Amino acid sequence: MTAAAAQTAYNLIAQAAPDFTLHAVAGGNVRLSEHRGQVVVLSFWGSGCGTCRGQLAALDRSLATYRSAGLEVYGVSLDDVPERAAAFARAVPVAFPMLLDPGKVVGRAYQVDNLPMTVLIDRSGTVRNVLRDYSARSDGLYLEQLRALLNE
Amino acid sequence: MFHASSTCGARVWLACLLLAAAPLAAAQAPPAAGAATSAPPAAESAPAAPATGEASADTRGLDEQVQGLKKDVVDLNRDLFVLEEELLFPANTQVAVFLAVDVGDFFALDSVQLKIDRKEVIDYLYTPREVEALLKGGVQRLYLGNLKVGQHELVAFFSGKGPNDRPYKRGASIKFEKGIGAKYLELKIDDRQRKLQPEFEIRDWE
Repeated sequence: MTAAAAQTAYNLIAQAAPDFTLHAVAGGNVRLSEHRGQVVVLSFWGSGCGTCRGQLAALDRSLATYRSAGLEVYGVSLDDVPERAAAFARAVPVAFPMLLDPGKVVGRAYQVDNLPMTVLIDRSGTVRNVLRDYSARSDGLYLEQLRALLNE
Repeated sequence: MFHASSTCGARVWLACLLLAAAPLAAAQAPPAAGAATSAPPAAESAPAAPATGEASADTRGLDEQVQGLKKDVVDLNRDLFVLEEELLFPANTQVAVFLAVDVGDFFALDSVQLKIDRKEVIDYLYTPREVEALLKGGVQRLYLGNLKVGQHELVAFFSGKGPNDRPYKRGASIKFEKGIGAKYLELKIDDRQRKLQPEFEIRDWE
């Protein structure tokens, strides 16, 4: 499936982003709706996913650049075993919170069908873009879409 | 108290609002292309100064109408919210559970799980912002549901960090009688200074 086809097939585009509250690996809880007014990027990953590590590092770089412009990034683990996800999260040096979704409630709400999957949510809490893979091309597309959302 | 007639009233009001908004929207809409081309040039129309004054008066009038409409929409939203709650949770079956935190030196709240008659009704995770609001004296309506008249049991499990930053989980329960009126219960987290431990209690608001 091409990226364009994947984009059209994702029926959460232009819909209100499903709200959630999840435990963070570092402690505490995160609720999506508390971040209205900021551009939020959700990256769904799993400890068994080879490309997720590279994608999380790329997201971390974008966060370092655009945090002051109102960007928030969250990694959401879909691992069944929270301990395994926590070990993976600790091994990946990123500055954003890693959240645990062992019950896959949030994964289902966001219709995750591939890992890594990145969802971009605008300042009003609407899902605007989705990227279902990670490559140099999708990274370029991500930055382009992210800049557009931050400029709104 | 809302009745069926007030439901109709609210709908009629909404219809009136929409009707009232239509001419306003038309007034604010840019003129059609045809209208723009057929309009006389500014120089041929009335003197500029009175026209400007008239325009600013019109703008002020429009602004007042918009503010009035906004207020009506807010009022309507409030009335519909109350109506929805009264329809979904009628007073004779309504049960509401509130949560309040007092001090909180010995317990940092992370989540509360509620079970009514052994059935989980909510498992709520607290963000630092919510905990801060509770510590400032806020009271949260944690659960709103329906129960039939009779004896019931509520069990609450509180999870978080206790003294010395250790994981801490405690439960509290209450058996209560649901009568024909609404039932309000309060979960309260307090500090027991003498034992240097948190205290969890459930109160029945009679």
